[in-house]
Amino acid sequence: MKWDFKQIEQDVLAEAKEISSQSQLESFRIKYLGKKGVLAQIYASLAALSVEEKPVIGKQANSLRKIIENIIKEKKKTISHASSDIDIRNLIDVTIPGVATEQGHKHILTQTIDEICSLFERLGFVIYEGPEIETEFHNFTALNIPVDHPSRDAFDTFYLEQEDKENKGRYLLLRSHTSPGQIRIMKQNTPPFAVVIPGRVYRPDAVDASHSFMFHQIEGLLVDKDVKFSHLKGLLSVFCKRFFGEDIKMRLRPHFFPFTEPSAEVDISCYICKGKGCSVCGRKGWLEIMGCGLVHPKVFEAVGYRKNAYTGLAFGLGVERIAMLKYGIHDIRLFYENDKRFLVQF
Amino acid sequence: MKLSVKWLKDYINFDLSIEELAHRLTMAGLEVEKISSVGGDTVFELEITPNRVDCLNVIGLAREVSAILDKNCNIPMIKELPVSTGKCDIEIKDRAGCKRYIATLIKGINISVAPTYITDRLTSLGNRAINNVVDITNFVLFETGQPLHAFDYDKLIGAKIIVRRARKGEKIITLDGEERELDEEILVIADAERPVAIAGIMGGKDTEVGPDTQNILLESAYFDPILIRRASRKLGLSTDSSYRFERGIDYFGVKQSTARAVNLILKHAGGRVAAITELLLGRRAYSGKKIKISQQIINDRLGVKIGLPKIKKIFKRQGFFVSELSSDAIYVVPPSFRSDIKETVDLVEEVARIVGYDNLAIDLPLIKGENIAPFKARTPREILKQSLFANGVSEVITYAMINREQLKKSILEDSKVVYIKNPLTTEQEIMRPSMLPSLLSITKLNINRGERNLRFFEIGKVYLPEGEKETLAILISGLRSNDWRDSVKPELNFYDLKGIIEAAVSRLYIDTLEFKRADIPCMEHGIAAEMFLSGQKIGYIGKINRNVVENWSIRAKNIFYTELNVEALYQKWQPHRKFVPPITFPSIIRDVSIAVKANICFKDIKEIAFSLGKGMLASVRFNEEYLGEKIPKGYRGISFSLIYQSSERTLTEEEVDLVHENIRKTLEKQLGAIIR
Repeated sequence: MKWDFKQIEQDVLAEAKEISSQSQLESFRIKYLGKKGVLAQIYASLAALSVEEKPVIGKQANSLRKIIENIIKEKKKTISHASSDIDIRNLIDVTIPGVATEQGHKHILTQTIDEICSLFERLGFVIYEGPEIETEFHNFTALNIPVDHPSRDAFDTFYLEQEDKENKGRYLLLRSHTSPGQIRIMKQNTPPFAVVIPGRVYRPDAVDASHSFMFHQIEGLLVDKDVKFSHLKGLLSVFCKRFFGEDIKMRLRPHFFPFTEPSAEVDISCYICKGKGCSVCGRKGWLEIMGCGLVHPKVFEAVGYRKNAYTGLAFGLGVERIAMLKYGIHDIRLFYENDKRFLVQF
Repeated sequence: MKLSVKWLKDYINFDLSIEELAHRLTMAGLEVEKISSVGGDTVFELEITPNRVDCLNVIGLAREVSAILDKNCNIPMIKELPVSTGKCDIEIKDRAGCKRYIATLIKGINISVAPTYITDRLTSLGNRAINNVVDITNFVLFETGQPLHAFDYDKLIGAKIIVRRARKGEKIITLDGEERELDEEILVIADAERPVAIAGIMGGKDTEVGPDTQNILLESAYFDPILIRRASRKLGLSTDSSYRFERGIDYFGVKQSTARAVNLILKHAGGRVAAITELLLGRRAYSGKKIKISQQIINDRLGVKIGLPKIKKIFKRQGFFVSELSSDAIYVVPPSFRSDIKETVDLVEEVARIVGYDNLAIDLPLIKGENIAPFKARTPREILKQSLFANGVSEVITYAMINREQLKKSILEDSKVVYIKNPLTTEQEIMRPSMLPSLLSITKLNINRGERNLRFFEIGKVYLPEGEKETLAILISGLRSNDWRDSVKPELNFYDLKGIIEAAVSRLYIDTLEFKRADIPCMEHGIAAEMFLSGQKIGYIGKINRNVVENWSIRAKNIFYTELNVEALYQKWQPHRKFVPPITFPSIIRDVSIAVKANICFKDIKEIAFSLGKGMLASVRFNEEYLGEKIPKGYRGISFSLIYQSSERTLTEEEVDLVHENIRKTLEKQLGAIIR
């Protein structure tokens, strides 16, 4: 069979001109260089040729092949991938929002409580929880808070229409602080021990941006032999630094609680104005965050510990206040409103 | 409490700036909350803690500053009352209510304006000047802490004073012009006929000292703190006098304060002392309790090294009596005005705060926490929460108090509820026996604000007469998902909520949770169930009744809710479970589609299948439910797969066929099922 190499070459060049896409190039390649392509046919036909013709035809076939291979090589470089052939559906808008199962959020108060409790757990404290409905004994008497005393004003309480079975004529109440948990722990256990007691507390305070009749506190109690005021300073200093940051300063200021002596309030340097004075801290430059002190001997007496047998330190903090300071939440009512747009921010 | 710095400087000299003084007072335990300028004077607003009655007067504060700065102070001291042979007619009927009463009759006084140094100091504290006698009584109150009252003697009927309880129905018009009704719980100062003052709180208008007064009876007394406090609360009347009496004034200081007042009155209003009568029902002389303290005790408790000389100096500056006991221990007797010093720890605090808390050592305790077992509920509670978060449910915290109206709207029983004796408002009259009202309330708030796809849960307490119980409540409403790729967005239904709670409970490795359809008043008939854990009812689940939704005016199509007692779950929780290797032998799956009468449930089908499975049936997988046209009326279509598998060998088709055929026949016979 006679091959018109000149014609084939012309055809090749003409077709090559029309190639503008990957798929066209591929068709071209298969046509000429494929298993059943033109060149394959030419090479196959060589066997039937005479001894003189074989090398001649063979040489022409080889040079044709080289031309085609070069064309393909060049074309590959110039053809872009984004040609009319490519399916538009493979190009996606990568800025459309992704879809995932919506995640639930832990309430910011719970997050704060968990963070603080976990911090103390790492220091060796154990978490304990006490009941919300309490007796006067646990909430006041055992904590050295006498019934008819002005110091009771700070602890005004909600009373329930339920009689206290252990104290005839008196009624049960909603705990006004988490301190009753101290009494329960001490009655049920022998020192040494260290506990933190998170929980809800209730006070008949009119509701406004910084007060709520229901809020959360975390109580801490450490009882052992030889607990000192210096320990209290150190422990709370570690807490403040870990919770608020290394830059924060802490100070203890003398105060009064019936169940601790010496007593103190703990201030941290205002991290908004760095101590210069602003709308959040007043002119003070300090923010009050907790109360603390060494456990009063009368409390040990009330729980039945032998006189002078043990010493202890105690502290209590308001969770809402701390969360409001740390996260910049300006109104306490937002915690209980549970607007989804508030909840999902944390 | 207000403190005028000018007044303070009358009794002690110091060289500090206002800011420095405020700082020193704050760091000693007398927190300066506010500083203001009042006509050339600086006034501090102090927070005085309830135990420091002695700081509710300028002399007390001067003493404090003297101790803090270690400087001498200059306190006006008049120890003795003037002598007089005249006697006043004073009778104390309530001997417990009034233990000390000094009546001084001053005749021939001249009512006029008080000297400027007195009126200036009163004005900076926000008190207006009235006349020299009244102003002096106020002045001495703020200066010494002793409340005083002056009566116009000529207006006292019968020229006598009786300290007694009021009689029910007795009335008095007080100095502020208000008429107040009294009863036997209230102590009054009365003349022969009627009350002329509410003891310790406020005087009566009738006997007030005015421009025409010529003779006055000056009263200074000690009244029982509890009695005064109760009367003050009852009448809703709190004054500078009652504030101090409530906290317990210095019983032994009454005489000196009286002497000071009498001295000032004679000086600025003239007159002469015609009679003095003192009734003393308690101890005559102060003999304070000897408190033992040592350098060792202080240093042990504070964790510092303070020498005994420094300790003694601190006590002496504060007016405490110090006597030697041994080389490192002393006896300290607090003065009568320091009722807050009762035992050793009080002395430790005194030293600590004067030295300055800032100057004390800082150290870390060795914490031995292992003695106490961790609170059991915390871990399983957290496991439940994490599963709920993974299913898109967010945690909420709602109020524990609700009102009966909210219970009614939610079609919940209001019979067994716990009432609050002293609620703030009627909105919080009862403790919630269920979390439904609270969750419906926040659902309404969110929907009104435009957010209708809601998944909330709360783990909190409900309160019943038998006690508080930890409960989990979940409320979901809106779309199942907000996938923009879906052209039709399905709404949530019962099975979404069931799936959420089943998933959460399964994470506690509990597989005995069962559901039984039940009629629950707050839920839609037929779309409600009770939940059981090993036969014990722990809660309920379902679609909220449309009447409830309407009662609450909530603009939601569907609301699904569940509430259950989690304490039961925590009891059944298994911290860990042993591994069960998956079966390696192949399974044979047979699909079945049947129509059963509407009252038959999937559980019934499973029970029959397993009872006839001969150990070859590994599980029954629910596939689909339909109520289409092809299903006969009163029936519903269910399709499921029976998965046959053995853990010991490969089952053969023949043996499975036999069992399967038996199951099919039995379903037909026992459940009236139509095999499709």
